[in-house]
Amino acid sequence: MNLTHAPEWAFGVCAGAYAAGCRDVVYVPDNPLSHVLRTFEERYSEVRLILATREEEAFGIAAGLYLGGGKPAVMLQSSGLGNSLNAITSLMLPYRIPALIVVSMRGDEGEWNAAQMPMGRAVGAILDAIGIPHVTAESAETAGDAVQRAGTRAFETRVSCACLLPKRVTSESPKGSDPLGVGGVRRERT
Amino acid sequence: MTRLEATRVVVAQAGEAAIIASLGHPTYDLFAAGDRPRNFYTWGSMGLASSIGLGLALARPDLRVFVVDGDGSLLMNLGSLATIGLLQPANYVLVVMDNEQYATTGGQLTPTARGADLEAAARAMRIGTAATVRTEADLAKALSAPTGPHMIVAKVEESSTALRPPLDCVAITRRFMAAIGQNEP
Repeated sequence: MNLTHAPEWAFGVCAGAYAAGCRDVVYVPDNPLSHVLRTFEERYSEVRLILATREEEAFGIAAGLYLGGGKPAVMLQSSGLGNSLNAITSLMLPYRIPALIVVSMRGDEGEWNAAQMPMGRAVGAILDAIGIPHVTAESAETAGDAVQRAGTRAFETRVSCACLLPKRVTSESPKGSDPLGVGGVRRERT
Repeated sequence: MTRLEATRVVVAQAGEAAIIASLGHPTYDLFAAGDRPRNFYTWGSMGLASSIGLGLALARPDLRVFVVDGDGSLLMNLGSLATIGLLQPANYVLVVMDNEQYATTGGQLTPTARGADLEAAARAMRIGTAATVRTEADLAKALSAPTGPHMIVAKVEESSTALRPPLDCVAITRRFMAAIGQNEP
């Protein structure tokens, strides 16, 4: 099989989620996350990828997976966190049903779309307000460790934990390839 | 048939199946129709019962999963039908108790009262066996159909019960997981 050359941070996210025990990834697509999804597809045959039509639905599916013995990850764009709040606050938290939450950030450093700014700015405060602990992948090299720590904490404590993937990390092009010739500052129009 | 009568049919047909109930009246009726450890009562997350059941059906292909949803709740998460149609879980049965109103919040009419057709929506999303039933006998027959996924719209009259399942959500999770043989990981 021809393996796609994915960026280092995406390899890290896959390895971290896998190491935390996740074999089910429920997702709503996002441009940077496409690297993660493709890497799972190509290199992790035991990981099942489940497409949801909306982030709130993704958390419902994740809750059912956990009840059935799974350790689910939910992967979404930060804008979709807004769509998820009732699922997190009235299902996941009170029932002590955890998921690893991986948030591809919009509206942070490097954002070009004004519509993404308010939610992007609020993500950390919203997670704090509803009691979801979160860590941030500070670099491509540490993304895997950050995701694994979030996942391990979620399943040990039975409270979901989020790992935020900043745009400055996810906008990194794969090493040794620069298809757009823009030195890694490619715009993700999603 | 009333929703409580229909829910009794679901419980009677369930056997070893897990049953996930939508918040409000479906949850109250499931408790009244027959509390059992394999019942999962939701107290919030309106719209997500069908999704919780879907995730469970995917994680546990050996387990039959029934979902007792409401028309208003399903309308809040219609995308769920597309996901069920996409994944085609054979062990999954979604029963929509369609009383054509938001009964838990005071009886405001839902679009199904004006002809919105949830069976047609399910068929359009590739749940090919979707059916609408109006009697307990037809509901029992539809529930016993073998390979799913199935979606059954049960046209029901509103019924109310004063019974309520316990409010302790963590206890609901623990009892349910233990009942289906799933120790918390």
